[in-house]
Formats: sequence, C-alpha cells, structure tokens
Amino acid sequence: MIKTKNLHKSFGDLEVLKGIDLDVETGEVVVLIGVSGSGKSTLLRCLNFLEMPNEGEITIDGRQVDLKKDDLSNVRAEVGMVFQHFNLFPHKTVLENVTEAPIIVKKMKKERAEKEARVILEKVGLSDKADVYPGKLSGGQKQRVAIARALAMEPKALLFDEPTSALDPELVGEVLQVMQDLANEGMTMVVVTHEMKFAKEVADRIVMLDEGCIIENADPHTFFNHSTNERTRQFLEMVDV
Amino acid sequence: MPEIFTTLYEVFIRTYPGFLKAALITLEITAIALVLGTALGIVFALMKISKSKILQTIANLYITLIRGTPLIVQIMFLYYGITNIVVLSNFWAGAIALGIHNGAYIAEIFRGAIQGIDRGQEEASLAVGMNRRQAMRRIIFPQALRRAIPPLGNQFIITMKDSSLVYVIGVSEMFGLANREAAASFQPFETFLVVGMYYLVLVLIFSALLKWYEKKLDVDSI
Repeated sequence: MIKTKNLHKSFGDLEVLKGIDLDVETGEVVVLIGVSGSGKSTLLRCLNFLEMPNEGEITIDGRQVDLKKDDLSNVRAEVGMVFQHFNLFPHKTVLENVTEAPIIVKKMKKERAEKEARVILEKVGLSDKADVYPGKLSGGQKQRVAIARALAMEPKALLFDEPTSALDPELVGEVLQVMQDLANEGMTMVVVTHEMKFAKEVADRIVMLDEGCIIENADPHTFFNHSTNERTRQFLEMVDV
Repeated sequence: MPEIFTTLYEVFIRTYPGFLKAALITLEITAIALVLGTALGIVFALMKISKSKILQTIANLYITLIRGTPLIVQIMFLYYGITNIVVLSNFWAGAIALGIHNGAYIAEIFRGAIQGIDRGQEEASLAVGMNRRQAMRRIIFPQALRRAIPPLGNQFIITMKDSSLVYVIGVSEMFGLANREAAASFQPFETFLVVGMYYLVLVLIFSALLKWYEKKLDVDSI
C-alpha cells in the first residue's frame, strides 16, 4: 500500500532521513518508534508529502508519486493524517470539521456528506457532539473528531503522528480504542507513538528508527522479547515496557 | 464662565444643519476608503505572503511608499496627479487617496493575522486533500479575519479622523466646513471645539458598534 525506497530528507545541513526503505502492506498496522530526533515524525510526514523528500521514491497504492508532476492534493486525499495537536478547524462545528473536505475536495452534496459524517461520528462515539465547536471538547474527544475528519475522505491508509502525546493520561484510552477498532476493521495504519502497550497489542510490525535509519523491523513479539540490537534494547529499557 | 457656554451653544445651533450634511460626507468618504482599503489590504497581504518574489516586491514597495510618506502629501499628489489624466471630483480623489493609504496599513494587519494562524491549520487542510487556495479561503482566512477585527476597528477609527485631511483639496466634509465657518464667523475656538465634538461622537458610536460586534463574534466562536 505504502512503499518508500531510499528516502532521504534534510533540513538545511541536518540529514534527518538517511535512506529509508519501508513497505506497508494493505491492512497492516505499522508502529514507528524511536527516540525524539530519530526521524520518525519526518518519515510519517513525508508519506503524506507535508514534507518533501530530497531523494528517493514513494509509492502509494501501486503508483509511484512524481513530486513535480502529480497533484499532491489528490495523493493526500487518499492518505489520511491525524496530528498530535489535533489541528481541528476551530471556527467550524464538529460536523462541519468532518464534512468540510468531502464537500470541498470531493464535491460531495452537503446532505450526503452530513449523513455520512454522522455515521462516522457515531463510530467514534461522538454523535451527540455534532453541533458543538471544538473549543468545547476534551482532548480525547478532539482527537476522535480528528480521526473522524480523516475517515470522512475514505482514505486508503491513515497516518498517526503521536496521536495521544498531547492528551491527559485518562483520555488516552478512548483514542487508542478507536484506533484499535480501525485496525480490527483492516485499515492500513502507520502510527508514530510512545504507547508501547498499543504497539505490543495492535501492531503487526514495529519499525525502530535511530538517527535517520531503520535499525529494526520486526513483529511485536520478536521486537519486545528477542531483539539483539543494542540500541533497541537501550530504548526498551528507557521506555520501561 | 457661562458666557463661553452661551456662545458655544449659539455656534452649535447656527452650524448644526451644515455639520450634519458635512458629517454625512465624512462618513461617505470614510466608508469608501474602508471598502477600498480593505480590498487592497487583502490583495497586498496575500501578495506579501505569496511564494512569488515579484508579487512580494510589489507589495513591499507599495507598503513602504505609503507608510513612509504623509497622508496629506498622498492626497495632494493623487488629486493633482489623477485629475491631470481623468476627470475626478475632489470628493472621489480624496476617498480614493484615503483608501490607498489605508490599504497599506490594512495589508499589514491581514498579513499579521494570517501568519498568526497556527501552521497546523494549513497542514490539516492539506492533509485532507485541499489545495493551498482552498485551505486559505475556507480555513485560514476566516480565522485570520476574526483575529484581524480588533486592529481593523482601530484602523477604521483612524481613517474616520484622517478623513479630515481631504479638506486640503476642498472637500466640504466636517473639517473643511469648520475651517470655513471659523474664518467667516471669527469664532475659531468655538467652531473647532464643536467640530471636535462631532468627531468624538462619531468615534464613540463606532467604537461601541465595534465592541458589540467583537462580543458577538466571540460568542459564536466558542
């Protein structure tokens, strides 16, 4: 579904990604982990072209993306993204947040978009908040709206950039539950997270980044119990699984 | 002491029919200048934040020239410059000069408001498949507009007061009338006091409207 080959990304003199080869199959849940500065968020943002890679190839759903010729809006419409700080549209109600893109980008009729949005809001447990502005919601509710907003575009894959890092601890569970439900339904997901429990229980594969390189790529059981990589073992000790 | 009040009252009574008409002209000029200034302001703000170096340069040039020269010079320059080329009443020349002047300040207000919107808003818009234009129009600009309203209100008040300067090209707005009245009646002190009060009343009414509007917007955005 998502494939990168020899992906490089620099900010000025700082090379953040040093040749990433990643292959995410349809329906797979891949968790990206690593210490801060390891490049995991940058890699995720490259997959949605919020950052432009300097070198390398990205293939989405079998089509290699041409950075110069392709309309990146079309590519982005197919891969949803959930941000650490939600980035909801504060001047629009919850329902409008969800219907905005289908109406503007897909030119969907308002009635149909609203009908579909209500189904999605139901799914993330927020049907009663449809007419509320984001400012009135808790962090966990905001993030669930953000997930609903991404789902409304019927993406082929979803990217999560530390979706629970900005939440109070007691609100993390409700967001992870929604993500787990999506995984169970077969959604292709790439998740940057520090939630090791989620990684252990939901991920199909764990990819560990260190200084811009993938140093480990394994199923959760192998990763957590049988890793031979020194950096991985140090990391696991640090996060205290 | 009461004598001054008596003469003030007399001046007020004698001049108010004229001042009411002149106030209308002041308001008209202000309104035209604000509409033109806001339109120019939005266009030049967008040029300034655009990726094109040429558009940026044009916007910077406009803003620097306008902010770097006195309004009264701009009014004179435009009036004598433009009326050489096209036939334009002094009313319209004044209103347009005031509009162009305000455009530069309003452009900076909009630029600041747009750049003050969290980058995450644009990223979220792009991430759901919008292009930059759609993100600006649907997501960023509406939020920036809300944020720009208090400084815009200030600018509008300044414009109303600045409109007095078009008297130099002979427009009979409030200050122009006061000038003539003062000279004709030999009562400059009373006349300018009266015209000052007219400006003050207009500014206070406008401020109250603005406050009411800000409050209303705030309630909606929660």
